[in-house]
Amino acid sequence: MAFITGTAGRETEPATAAAADPILSVRDVHIRDQGTGREIVHGISFELAPGQAVGIVGESGSGKTLTCRAALGILPDQLQVSAGSITLAGHDIAGLSGKQWTGLRGSTISAVFQDPSSYLNPSIQVGPQIAEVIRVKKKVRRREARDRALQLLRSVRLRNPENVYSQYPYELSGGMLQRVLIAAAIAADPKVLIADEATTALDVIVQAEILDLLAALREDTGLALVIVAHDLAVVAQLCDQVLVLRHGEVVEHGSTADVLYRPRHDYTKLLISEHEQYGLDRFLDSPRPDQA
Amino acid sequence: MIRRVLSRPAGRIAVAILSVIVLLAIFGSALAPSSPLATTSAQLGHISGSHWLGTDYLGRDTLSRLLAGSRASIVGAIEVALIAFFIGAVPGIACVYLGRVFEWLTLRLVDTLISLPFLLVAVAVTALLGNGMTVALLVVGVLLAPSFYRVSRAATLSVARSQYVEAAQLSGASLTWIVRSHVLSKVLPPISVTLASTVGTGFVVVSSLSFLGIGVQPPAPTWGGLLSSDLNYLSYQPWAPVAPALLIIATVWAANLLADAIRDVSGDAGRAYVSARVKRPRQPVLSRGGE
Amino acid sequence: MSARALVEVEDLNVHYGLGRHRRQVLDGVTLSVCGGEAVGIVGETGSGKSTLARAVLGLVPISAGRVVIDGLDVSKASARQWRALRRAGVLAYVFQDSLRSLDPDRSVGDSLVEPLLIQGIARAAADARARAFLDRVHLDADLLGRLPGALSGGQRQRVAVARALVTEPKLIMLDEPVSALDSANRVQVLEILKGLRETGVALVFISHDLGSVAGLTDRIAVLYQGELVEVGPTRAVINAPRHVYTRLLVDSAPTLRSAAAKRSARESLRALLNP
Repeated sequence: MAFITGTAGRETEPATAAAADPILSVRDVHIRDQGTGREIVHGISFELAPGQAVGIVGESGSGKTLTCRAALGILPDQLQVSAGSITLAGHDIAGLSGKQWTGLRGSTISAVFQDPSSYLNPSIQVGPQIAEVIRVKKKVRRREARDRALQLLRSVRLRNPENVYSQYPYELSGGMLQRVLIAAAIAADPKVLIADEATTALDVIVQAEILDLLAALREDTGLALVIVAHDLAVVAQLCDQVLVLRHGEVVEHGSTADVLYRPRHDYTKLLISEHEQYGLDRFLDSPRPDQA
Repeated sequence: MIRRVLSRPAGRIAVAILSVIVLLAIFGSALAPSSPLATTSAQLGHISGSHWLGTDYLGRDTLSRLLAGSRASIVGAIEVALIAFFIGAVPGIACVYLGRVFEWLTLRLVDTLISLPFLLVAVAVTALLGNGMTVALLVVGVLLAPSFYRVSRAATLSVARSQYVEAAQLSGASLTWIVRSHVLSKVLPPISVTLASTVGTGFVVVSSLSFLGIGVQPPAPTWGGLLSSDLNYLSYQPWAPVAPALLIIATVWAANLLADAIRDVSGDAGRAYVSARVKRPRQPVLSRGGE
Repeated sequence: MSARALVEVEDLNVHYGLGRHRRQVLDGVTLSVCGGEAVGIVGETGSGKSTLARAVLGLVPISAGRVVIDGLDVSKASARQWRALRRAGVLAYVFQDSLRSLDPDRSVGDSLVEPLLIQGIARAAADARARAFLDRVHLDADLLGRLPGALSGGQRQRVAVARALVTEPKLIMLDEPVSALDSANRVQVLEILKGLRETGVALVFISHDLGSVAGLTDRIAVLYQGELVEVGPTRAVINAPRHVYTRLLVDSAPTLRSAAAKRSARESLRALLNP
C-alpha cells in the first residue's frame, strides 16, 4: 500500500512546507469507536504550514469529518484518537484540558460546516451573534464589538453590512448565511480555518463566491485552510496539497498537480474520469480568448 | 399487518384478551348457569357451589348477570366505535378532495364537537331524546367522531401532497386509483389505532352511562349497571364490585394495548420492522447512497 | 433527429399568488425539444427551472403562452385530457428525490409497474415488460421485493429511472438526477443515461450544475430569474457564452484545472450582474 501517507506523499509536497513550522500537524492518526472496538480512520497524516491550504476529498463515511472533529477536539464521546498525534500551533492536543481547548478554539483554529442555519440562533439577529463571539474572545465592550462585527461582515464581501447585521437568519439566503458564519469563525483571528463541506449545499455560483472568499482571506491574512469536500474539483481550485480518503484510509496524497495529473489509486482515477467524461472539463480544452 | 401485530407480545396479549371478551359477548348468555333475571331468596349470598360469584341484592346469580351483561356492554362499545368511525373518517378523507368550502364546514363542526363536555352532553341528550340505548350510542358515537376526522384528514393530507402520488398522477392515475393504491394504505393504520382506542373509550363511556342509569334499563344486566348496584351494598359484599370492575379494566386495557401494538408496526417503525425481516446479502459499501 | 418538435414551449408565463403577492416565476420562455435530442436546462434555485418542467407536465397552471406536446396544444387542457395524455406515456419524469417519489409502503417492484397498471395492462404482463428494463439500469431482479427504504440511494435512483422507462416514452425529464449521489453512483447513472440516448429517447436534464449536464446534452438552455437568457449547442454555450450570467455560470463551475486564474473574471462578472 505505497499510496498511503508517509514518504511517498511528503516527497512531492511543495518545498515551502518544510520551510515554516506547520500550524497543524496530523501524524498517523487512527480513530476508533470505543463502543464497538471498530477502527474508523486508519492512519491519516498531513502537515499544514501557515498560509497553505490542504484539501481532503472523500464520500460520506470516509472519515474526513471525523478527522476535522479530532483536530477541533469535538469528537463524539465514544470515538477517540487511538493512535498517532495531532499538533496544533505546537501544542499536542492529546493532553489538552477543556479550558485549554476553549482558549484555542476561535483564536487558533476555527471551522464552518455544511448547514449554516443550524449553527445560528434563529431568534437572534445575526450581527449580535457575531459581536458576541468578539466580546467573548477579544474581551472588548459592546460598542467596539459591534464595530468589529460590521468590519468582519464587510470583509466577507457582504454588500450591506449594516442591513445584514440586523437581519434574522431566516431572512438570509444560504450563501449569505455561510458568509456570516465565516465572519464569526474568523472573528478572533484564527490561524487555521476548517471548511467541512461548507459549500456542498450551495448553488454553483454561490459556491464559487464562497471559495473565492476563502482564497482571498488566505491571501490577505495568511489564514491556513483545510477544505473538505466530496468534489475533487472544489478542492483542486484552492489547495496546494490534496488527500483522498476512502473508507477511512488515505488512498492518495500529494500536491494538487500530482494528484490531478499523476494519480496512482483507482478511486482517484474514478473521480477524475467523472469530471473528464461528464463534466465541464471535456469542453474546456483551451483557455477562453478573454482569459489572460 | 395482522401478522405483524401478532408477532409482537403486546399484540398477542391484547388479541387474546379481546378474543375472550368477544367470545363472552357471543356466548355469554348461553354459558350462564342460571337466568340473569331469576330472583331467588338467597339475597346477597356469598360465593358457593351453586353461585360461583354469589348473588346480588335481589338474589340473582352474579356470574350469570356478568356473563349475560357482557353482550350489551361490548356490542355497545363496538357500535359506538363504528358510528364514530363512519361519521368521522369518511368526511376526513373526503374533505381533502371535495374543496375548500366542505373542508371549512367540517372543520368548524368538528371544532364545536370537541369543545363540548363529553359526558354531560351525553347525559343531557339522552335525557332529552329518551332513555334508549340506541340514542345513547348514537350520541357518544357522534361525540367521539372528531378524533377519527382529524386522524384521517391528517393522514390523507400528507399522502395527497406527496411526491409518489404526484408520480402516479403523472402516469395518468385517476383519483380512485390514487385513493385505492396509496391513500388507503397510509390512512388505515392510524385509523386502526384510533378505532382500537375508541373501543376502549366507548366502553368506558357506555359503562359510565349505564352506571348512571342511562341507556340499558334495569333489570337487564350490564357491567356498568352491575358496578353501580354493587356499590350500594358494599357493606354487605365488599368484594362484589371487583368482578365487573376487573372485566371493564381488562377490556379497556386490552383495547389500548392493541392500539399501541398497531401503532408500533405501522408508519416508519413498521417499515423498518418489515425491512429488517428481509434477509439480504451484505452490500458492498461503494453502492451506498451519498447523504 | 425528427423534424417535428416533441415538446414546444412558446412565450410561456407562469406566476404564483394574486395582487400584491403576485410573483412572476416564468417570463416569456420559448424552447423546443425534438425527438432524440438531449437538452439541459440550467439555472439556480429560484430560476424557475422546476416550474418550467411542472408547467410542461401539467402540474401547474399557465398564465400565458402555449405548451404543445407531440403536436397537441395542452395549454388549456382539462384534467381528463391530461389523464388521457399521460396514459399514452409519451412523457416521463424522474424526480430529484427518489426516496420521496416512491411509495414507502409498497415494494419497489410494485412502484415500478404502476405506470403500466394504470394503463390497464394486467399484472403478469406488466411485470414481464418491466423486467426487460432492469438490466438497462443494472438492477437485480431480487431487489424488487424490497421497500424503497431498504435500498441505497443509487439503487433507488435507478429504480426511478427504470419506472420512467417502462412506458417506453419518447421523452424523459430528469430533475437533478445525480445531485444526491456519491461519485461511483453518479458515474453509473450518467452511464445509464448515456446508453438511453442511443435508443433514441429524448432527454431533458434540469440541474443547477452546468458541469453535470455538459457531458450528456446536445443543447443547453440557461434560465435566470424566470427568463431564458441563452440557448445554444452545448459546446458553444460553454466555450463562448454570450450572456453575463452564462459566463459567470461557466466560470463558477468547479473544474479540475485550477480556477484561480478565473477569480478576477468572476469578480467582474458578479459586479456586472449585481450593480
